[in-house]
Amino acid sequence: MFRVMLYSQWKWSRLIVALGSIAAFALPIVSVQGAARADSNPLRAGELLQAVQAWGTLYPVLAAALGLLVAIATWAPDHRGRHVHALSLPLPRWRYVLLRFGAGGTLLAAPVIAVAAGALLATWSATIPAGLQGYPVALAIRFALAVLVAYAVFFAVSAGTARTAGIMLGLIGGVILVQIIAGVANLDLDLFGKLQIVVLNWPGPLAIFSGRWMLIDV
Amino acid sequence: MCSWRWWLPLLAASVRTLAGQEVPRLQARADSLAREWRRANALADMVDSLNHARAAGGTDTISVGALRIVTNPSPARLRQAAARAWPVIDSLYGTEARQLEQRPYLIAPYDPDTTSPKPMLRGAIQVPWDKDVASLVMILLTNVPIGRPDAALQNWLGGPVLPIVHPEPARAAVYVQLVTAPSQAARSCFLGVMSDCRTALALVDSPDPLRQWYPSAAEQRALVFKSFAEFLTFSDHGAHKPALQSCRAGSDSACRELLRSLPPGALPRPLTYDARAALVHLALRLGGREAYHRLVATPGKPIADRLAGAAGVSVDSLVSQWRSEILAARPAPVTVPPWGPWAALGWTAVFAVCALRSSRWRVS
Repeated sequence: MFRVMLYSQWKWSRLIVALGSIAAFALPIVSVQGAARADSNPLRAGELLQAVQAWGTLYPVLAAALGLLVAIATWAPDHRGRHVHALSLPLPRWRYVLLRFGAGGTLLAAPVIAVAAGALLATWSATIPAGLQGYPVALAIRFALAVLVAYAVFFAVSAGTARTAGIMLGLIGGVILVQIIAGVANLDLDLFGKLQIVVLNWPGPLAIFSGRWMLIDV
Repeated sequence: MCSWRWWLPLLAASVRTLAGQEVPRLQARADSLAREWRRANALADMVDSLNHARAAGGTDTISVGALRIVTNPSPARLRQAAARAWPVIDSLYGTEARQLEQRPYLIAPYDPDTTSPKPMLRGAIQVPWDKDVASLVMILLTNVPIGRPDAALQNWLGGPVLPIVHPEPARAAVYVQLVTAPSQAARSCFLGVMSDCRTALALVDSPDPLRQWYPSAAEQRALVFKSFAEFLTFSDHGAHKPALQSCRAGSDSACRELLRSLPPGALPRPLTYDARAALVHLALRLGGREAYHRLVATPGKPIADRLAGAAGVSVDSLVSQWRSEILAARPAPVTVPPWGPWAALGWTAVFAVCALRSSRWRVS
């Protein structure tokens, strides 16, 4: 059953996975392009770090985009068919959802492997100045976790009904409204700041996305 | 009838006379009232201005150790801040911290919630009185009103000797500098060449700092394009443009001449203030309570000798210890904590369970 589901999901999301894998492979290599040249100056370690840091902002963006697109592609055919096919299968609902989740997660292994390969190749080919080190494995593991978290979040959202989405949007809207009213009333209430700390700092759900994504660092 | 004939003109005449007398009298009374009103107003203004002057001029003096803060009465938590700042200041300046008895901080806290004028205390640091203690401590530590050391020490250091508020991150920043500075001396220092550490810290006097700090052509070229490309393009109405192009094309002598054409003191030292400040702090820590006094008491000597004298150890030993401290402060490269992956997997499981409990298939 899993193999069938994996195949059908591959058919639906192969373009996303293929393009994502190419981007994931290219990103680490592009980020160290200056240091990979034969005439690169080892004294320009600061510039190398700046370049790696600047390109590093794209890793969480790519992870989030892959998670979002694969999650949407996972559920889109079911939504279009009003879940008739899923209901006709001799499977309990939880098992069906789990198989879908597993199949999507398996497909996302391709861009993760691509990042790992690209990062290893980039650190191997670059002239890394003394004092700096490459962290290809740590970067790949972090990318894998970020992809997984993003996929799980969007998978859950996509699996929900319009009512669930409405409740979530209502909650977000409520927070914004309270913040605006507090601002108008000149109250010392920083809901956005608190929310940001809760969500983006460890052990928050999106903490894996925050911080520096450095292929090469001190 | 006759009597009426006389009475009427008499009455008219008397009314006219009375009216003629009343207007000046009333005018005089009105004038006197206006005078009284002006006087009362002036008195009220004076009382008001006296109250204002008392509010602005009334000061408290907070004393913690030798630290003195002259401030206007307010709920600002300056005493707590002073209690936290004083040990740091005392440990840095040692016996010289006694100077602060004669050199108070002037701090004027103001009410952040009103639009009324802030209290005027000439030369005072103005802070909102609801500032937290940590911020007040920071203000006290970065504005210590101690006597400035001699120009030679300040020029070498690049500023006054002040407490380092966050020593560990400051040392980590110096570590990054050692690794990333476009200087072979800094890089060699990182790799363990002690003479290059002294060069990178600008402890060796030389008539030609360019040759001393950036000896190789690669360093000089990197310096021209990293720090001075824009300046050299536009300075002297573009007179340096041909040399800049030659330097870009690979001429080492053109790069060197461009750097030599810079104004005196413009050539950046291989390492920044933070690195030298870390060295000074180490020397003061090693030298005990008299260290700062020894450091500032010998303005004519070379900086290296002064630091060694303050620390009570040789320059080589001091620089070696500085390097060890900097290397030990290597910043953590990975920002994910050790349990971070487990937290991420946990959140993945949570969201997956949310999807399992989706209500999409429920029969309504």
